[in-house]
Amino acid sequence: MSETAASISAETKTEATPDVAVLMDTRAQLYGMLARLFREEIDLATLRELQSMRFPASTGNAQVDEGYHQLFEYLRRAWDDSVTELAIDYVSTFIGHGVNGYSAAYPYESVYTSERRLLMQKARAEVLATLRENELKRGTWNEAEDHIALELEFMQRMALRCAEALRDDAEDEAIAYVRTSYDFLENHLLNWVPMLVTDMRLHARTLFYQGLGQLLLGSITEDEAVLRELLDSVA
Amino acid sequence: MAYPNRGAQEDTSAALVSLVSFDDEFDPLAVDDTEIDQEWMDDENPYDTIDYPTMRNMPETVHHEPVYSPERQGSATEALRALVTHNPNRRPVLMNIIGLCENGCPSSVISERVDEWQKDNRSVYAPMTLCRMLERAGALRLEMPETTEACEVVEEGVTYLQIKEAVDPLWYATDEALALRAHFLEGSEFRSIVIESAESRYSDVYVAVMEALAERPRVLDEIEDVASSFEITASPKRYGQHFIDVLESCDCVRWGNNAWNLTELGTTMLDELKAQKEA
Repeated sequence: MSETAASISAETKTEATPDVAVLMDTRAQLYGMLARLFREEIDLATLRELQSMRFPASTGNAQVDEGYHQLFEYLRRAWDDSVTELAIDYVSTFIGHGVNGYSAAYPYESVYTSERRLLMQKARAEVLATLRENELKRGTWNEAEDHIALELEFMQRMALRCAEALRDDAEDEAIAYVRTSYDFLENHLLNWVPMLVTDMRLHARTLFYQGLGQLLLGSITEDEAVLRELLDSVA
Repeated sequence: MAYPNRGAQEDTSAALVSLVSFDDEFDPLAVDDTEIDQEWMDDENPYDTIDYPTMRNMPETVHHEPVYSPERQGSATEALRALVTHNPNRRPVLMNIIGLCENGCPSSVISERVDEWQKDNRSVYAPMTLCRMLERAGALRLEMPETTEACEVVEEGVTYLQIKEAVDPLWYATDEALALRAHFLEGSEFRSIVIESAESRYSDVYVAVMEALAERPRVLDEIEDVASSFEITASPKRYGQHFIDVLESCDCVRWGNNAWNLTELGTTMLDELKAQKEA
């Protein structure tokens, strides 16, 4: 067992690990929700589920708070017909109808990190490699691996694996998952999500997608600080 | 070449200029046109592209108007009649929605009931899309309730925002829609199409088809056998589907449980048709 793992192991005895495991569960839930909201349009069941949720009024992160408030404001007035409104806004926000590469907030990392704003570029190859390294693959979903929903789902998987490793007292493994999450956040999500969210502000017409953009950016910024702190504590 | 009337030519030129000039609000080709020469686009420059205006930026005149609306058809009654005539498969559901909304009905109840009504007759239209179609035709009006105040819940020192009560707007049927529905339900469509028009020459076939359906629900092949047993359907050829189409447009038959069923109105109209023939 490494020294860092040994230090986490020592904390286990003082009930620190269950807290970190719960933190990982919470992170997984947030990433899971974000991945679902970016993956496809909202259906009625999802809308009802969102309306039954509670949103923290003040988290200490201004962007997360703004995101939650905008989502809440929209959901407070949402009803059955809002499903159609959100479907229309999803298409105009993430798909658009232009051919110039600037007509929507394209949810692919390649678009924001390649010179000509093209799909399936270096970023997609890197994400694909990361998925393979972690024994994951895209499944039946027919989108490129660098789609925002898949990148968020990757973060969710890492958080779930980390929580499971902590509960199994596999500290080395848990640290490796935290490190993988941090590296992925640094090298991928934080690299392009700020630009995606800027475009979402331009193209989204509903408070829902405006708020979702703010929530995403605030959450990954906050998550970076949390993961860095965790890694610093075991360094 | 000399122009006999130069003044007239100048007037024409002025008219042409005004015809091809763009109005300020809608000018798709003017986007970046002053900065980008499309003949000399730089392939290496990602910003050197053509842009297109988005629909939301286009003037209202470019947007489509509703196909069925009191403005277009002349009245709510005519708009609704046109809507149900051009959407025969949705006719029963549209009429049922109007009936349900006679004294006001919450959207959630409509959604639930429409899903039930459409279980044998799938549709790309969501329940609220159907309500919006009826609203545009002047058959329904929407009453949005006041949204509830934001509710804050404090748990373990953390304040959460929570929705206590989801918004559930009420739909009300208009008087015109209710009158037209009542008109349809008392069999006037059946009388005008089957009894009082040239279609009445097939009245024996209608009676046979409706009697067969009154016995039990039937599939199209069985209706076909009934229809083809009459000499009059041989030339010009009238298939069983024709009689089903007519009866469906009069609300006398309905598709359910993988077969055609005679409706309550169909049973009443069968009696009336038989009485008419006997008289």
